[in-house]
Amino acid sequence: MEADRTGGGAVVTVPGLLLFAGFALVGPAAAFLVPSTLIQSLLTQATIYAIFALGVGILIRQNGMVSFGHAAFFGLPAYVIGAVLPLGLMPPELIIIGGLAATALMAFLVGLVIVRVHGIAFGMLTLAIGQAVYEAATRLRGLTGGHDGLSLDLPRFLFGLPLKTFQQPGSMLIVTWLVLALMLAVAFLFAKSRYGLLSEAIRDNEERVRFLGYRTLVPRALTFALSALVTAAGGVLFALYNAFVSPETVHWTASGSALIMAILGGASAPWGPVAGAFTYFFLKEAVGSFTTHWLSIIGVSLIVVTVVFPAGLVGLFDRLRPGNRSQGAANVG
Amino acid sequence: MSANALEVRGATKTYGGFTALAGVDLTVAPGEVRALIGPNGAGKSTLIDVISGRGANISAEVRLFGTDISRASPAQRRLAGMSRSFQRTSIFPGLPVRQQLLLAAHRMGEGDVDELLGEFNLAAVADIAAGLISYGDQRRLDLALALVGRPRVLLLDEPAAGLSFEESKHLAEHLRHLAARWSVTVLLVEHDMDVVFAIADRITVLQLGRVLAEGDPAEIRANPDVIKAYLGSAA
Ligand SMILES: Nc1ncnc2c1ncn2[C@@H]1O[C@H](COP(=O)(O)OP(=O)(O)OP(=O)(O)O)[C@@H](O)[C@H]1O
Ligand SMILES: [Mg+2]
Repeated sequence: MEADRTGGGAVVTVPGLLLFAGFALVGPAAAFLVPSTLIQSLLTQATIYAIFALGVGILIRQNGMVSFGHAAFFGLPAYVIGAVLPLGLMPPELIIIGGLAATALMAFLVGLVIVRVHGIAFGMLTLAIGQAVYEAATRLRGLTGGHDGLSLDLPRFLFGLPLKTFQQPGSMLIVTWLVLALMLAVAFLFAKSRYGLLSEAIRDNEERVRFLGYRTLVPRALTFALSALVTAAGGVLFALYNAFVSPETVHWTASGSALIMAILGGASAPWGPVAGAFTYFFLKEAVGSFTTHWLSIIGVSLIVVTVVFPAGLVGLFDRLRPGNRSQGAANVG
Repeated sequence: MSANALEVRGATKTYGGFTALAGVDLTVAPGEVRALIGPNGAGKSTLIDVISGRGANISAEVRLFGTDISRASPAQRRLAGMSRSFQRTSIFPGLPVRQQLLLAAHRMGEGDVDELLGEFNLAAVADIAAGLISYGDQRRLDLALALVGRPRVLLLDEPAAGLSFEESKHLAEHLRHLAARWSVTVLLVEHDMDVVFAIADRITVLQLGRVLAEGDPAEIRANPDVIKAYLGSAA
């Protein structure tokens, strides 16, 4: 399967498409089968965070880099929408797409500077950028509403759908799930593309890539931008669902949660962070109902995962699978 | 019209205050296999680095078939036809062997790597992640990556490093034939003097960052300075 990547063979196979279609149907099915609005709401939130974590995971898998500041990219489009909507300059749909594009562009430009730095220093830079966005969100009161946050004055129809589609848990579960499926497809196709292969090669051994004739800075910045874009898609859904954004959305603890989800699930396959996000929400819900210390439970499970299953749920799955493939699996350390 | 394959003037490299390479000149004719020898720390790898544009604090005038590439990045040099391998194996551990060769081939405008897999005896491990194949296979992969697209000038830094006596003999012979068949000019760092005398057209001897001697194998074998500085201790 991986052998097809630049060989010109099929990346998209029939079983793959069936699997994808089956996955895409899970959300809508859950929306109809789960009667409880509470659980629907929980699933919707988990799906939004799964998209957030998917973006974080793309950066780990393709670039080998860990971001502690991705909440900035999650919250930024929400703030852009909130700040530009009242001006009435353009259709809201355009503002949403513009917010996504602006976030990706900003990530690309920032990426051109910060991806030169490696390892923990890169993590610190992303943390600093995340905190800068947080500070801006609290200080620029006129634009962001400061600590009080910003209510989004959304129009009654968006993309031809009534606004309540985006704000009722049942219907929003379907919307978020379909976006998640789309983003997973993007992550998968990127990983299988020649560009994805190049980014993995750079992750493994950047110097040798240069000696093969490739420039490496732009590809790494582009991967960073793609990762930010996926996370931003989650941020837009968050903004529509809550019609509200506050500095908490861009706080480093939000970045940390998404990172925990990605690591819990394992970043060596695109679906890992998604599974991690649902596990995280499930744990939080199950444990949170009888103790307020659920964060420490998450912490302990994270330690267990990193010690026992360093490749997260993906690694566990690979190990349990009959005829497990240890070859070809990218080792993200 | 008879441009040299490789012309290097004043190759210099410093580490802080220490001068590892002090203005080395080197000229290699098209099709030649040139061996670069010298004691440990003589500056052989450093010279390969300077020629290929690797690292900081390097300076040299480098011409590739008459074209000045002194200011070119490593990537540009590769596209211009200069390629290199590494003394310390430099491959992509997480990627299957074929994938990384295809990636290299794509940049050189080629779509097929089966011939290369065959040449370097890698067909059996083509779909295995390079981090999981044997050390000998990894060394040959490093070379295969350098040979993608049939570079005009190939810089090899101890291609047989860490291989057994048998393996390194065989590899040297193979490289010699491949270079002739593909008309690749080779600059080769090699410690094994049997190999050097067997496959080199000419030999350059480095010592303490300078050229100690240069000549054909017979001349080098007979050179008293070389015997004193290097062959005496190595033989
Ligand atoms: N990173 C470094 N920092 C400081 N000095 C260095 C560094 N790398 C190499 N040197 C010094 O530069 C000189 C030349 O080293 P180089 O690696 O080019 O030698 P070499 O001829 O390739 O040796 P070998 O046969 O061991 O591979 C040596 O004196 C070495 O100690
Ligand atoms: Mg050396």
